[in-house]
Amino acid sequence: MREQLTADAGVIAGQPPRRGKAILVIAAVAAVGAVFPFLLAGEPFLLMLASYALTAAIVALSLDLLTGNTGLLSFGHAAWYGFGAYAAGLLSKTVTSDIVLLVLMTMLATAVIATLIGAVLVRQIGKTFAILTLAFSQIIFAIVFVFSGLTGGEDGLQGIPVPTFFGLQVFKPEVWFWIFYGVLVISLAFALHVRRSPLGKAWLAIRDNAERASFIGMNVNRLKLIAYSSSATLAAVAGALFVLFNGAASPDLLSWFESGKILMYVVLGGVGTLVGPILGAIAFTVAEHYVSSFTDAWLIYFGGLFVLMVIVAPGGIFGALSGIWTRGAASREAAQ
Amino acid sequence: MLAMSLALNGVVLGSILLLFSLGLTLIYGVGRVVNFAHGALFSLGAMTGVWCTQLGLPFWLTLIVAPIAVGLVGVFIDWAILARIRDRPMVDSLLLTFGLALLITGILYEFGGRTVQIMPVPGALGGVAAVGGLSLPVYRIFVSVVAIVLTVALILFLQNSRWGLRVRAANDNPEMGACLGIDRERLMHSVVGVSAGLAAAAGVAGAPIFTAYATVGDKILILAFMTVILGGLGSLRGAVVAAYVVGMIIVFGEGYFGGQAALMALFSMVMAMLINWPRGFFGEGRVE
Repeated sequence: MREQLTADAGVIAGQPPRRGKAILVIAAVAAVGAVFPFLLAGEPFLLMLASYALTAAIVALSLDLLTGNTGLLSFGHAAWYGFGAYAAGLLSKTVTSDIVLLVLMTMLATAVIATLIGAVLVRQIGKTFAILTLAFSQIIFAIVFVFSGLTGGEDGLQGIPVPTFFGLQVFKPEVWFWIFYGVLVISLAFALHVRRSPLGKAWLAIRDNAERASFIGMNVNRLKLIAYSSSATLAAVAGALFVLFNGAASPDLLSWFESGKILMYVVLGGVGTLVGPILGAIAFTVAEHYVSSFTDAWLIYFGGLFVLMVIVAPGGIFGALSGIWTRGAASREAAQ
Repeated sequence: MLAMSLALNGVVLGSILLLFSLGLTLIYGVGRVVNFAHGALFSLGAMTGVWCTQLGLPFWLTLIVAPIAVGLVGVFIDWAILARIRDRPMVDSLLLTFGLALLITGILYEFGGRTVQIMPVPGALGGVAAVGGLSLPVYRIFVSVVAIVLTVALILFLQNSRWGLRVRAANDNPEMGACLGIDRERLMHSVVGVSAGLAAAAGVAGAPIFTAYATVGDKILILAFMTVILGGLGSLRGAVVAAYVVGMIIVFGEGYFGGQAALMALFSMVMAMLINWPRGFFGEGRVE
């Protein structure tokens, strides 16, 4: 899968930019997003489910920014998702209700703290990093209970006011859908752009062989830290938007089960494919909703699926699909 | 006086943590697998203890049956699941054991793990031992003794038996061990079995103290992770020292500042230590 990825990237980078096609893609993506809420006009619940799925997709993309690009596996990404949610929730109760300001302040706070924590974390590799991220998420989880006067503890953060945008209240479900959709598309475009930039190339070099990367003069720890902070910041944006949409945050957002779910989205979709985790998150959230409506033994199916995926299809949906695609392409070529 | 009493409780927690972390170290040493499902096996042990008690088994028998049963589950897990990803990259083993942890937790939820189950202390071990103004429940002394005896037995067995020889060989150099005719598959089955058994022993012996529910092992897993990192991943004597250090930090932190703050203090200490000594107390942890 890895070779294939680099090959893909090479092909894309080697092609002359086809502006007409790009505009077509952008128009199509925008049109789908704009029309979607009207297709679900009579089904307010489905529209809400779509918004939840998009939140999950943003978080999945944020984890893939770290894991897919640098190979660092975070078992505690819910820490940043939940941190963003609590930060934005507390700020909206005390400082301002302007959605843009809230998201910007959350991003700033997360970037600073994630850089400080990440500076120690990224010095570790592989297993130690994975263990420490898991432990860190448990610490953030514990902090919610230490300051339960502020955060509401077990009951969660309640009574978050409806956010405003230049004085207008943001409450319509369609508008929320468009916000999530817009953030997801912009982040994905940005992630794809970075993948093709020198920074993205350097990240992939680290993922494939960190030792060689440092021998040719790359500052491996700093590059990893950039990946970690930007990944944490994007996760916090998703958390912030989620809490403003949802009106409440619960400590469950920080549990290690949540971290596992985020990781599952990425594994299910295919690590490092950027688009795959988004599809994984959407498929998973929708499936979760329907499965959990007729059984409460959801965790068994979830854990079983996780185990099965790792054994049978470590490349995820996207990996399996692109495997079939290349095989198909190869046989077509052979036929010609 | 409070400090002395806390120190005693620190020894109790440290001993349980030691027994639990040894399994984690063992499975890492031989298979290079960081077992995220180890906490779920602790919970499974505790829940098995509760089920055995409900069936009317005497406490002594429960203490023997539960670890053996969970040990067999461990052998089965290794044979059926872990063996499938033996030569895959490290990432896969982390993901797989994480999925296993969720699966086991999900199964425990369905069998009474949603509510906290009390496991009664047997009559003979009830009561409180008081010496010179200090008091400690007799059961806690018993648990510490059991944990320490099991640990010493395991270490002696590792040093003096043929099985221990194979384990140490595979720990030092798995490829060379395989070349010398060690059957890695069978060795790994036995190691995962023993490791699961140790986790379950800690779980069932700790059940009267920590109670039993589906996620009782989660917190102790985090503590055990801190232990193996402080001691150095794969270092046996590092784990022994670190278990008591972690036990003391947690008990003193809880005594003076409250439980969650203790966890934060421990994490800060581990992070601070990793900056300068990433390989643990004895500098023999693996960093690959």
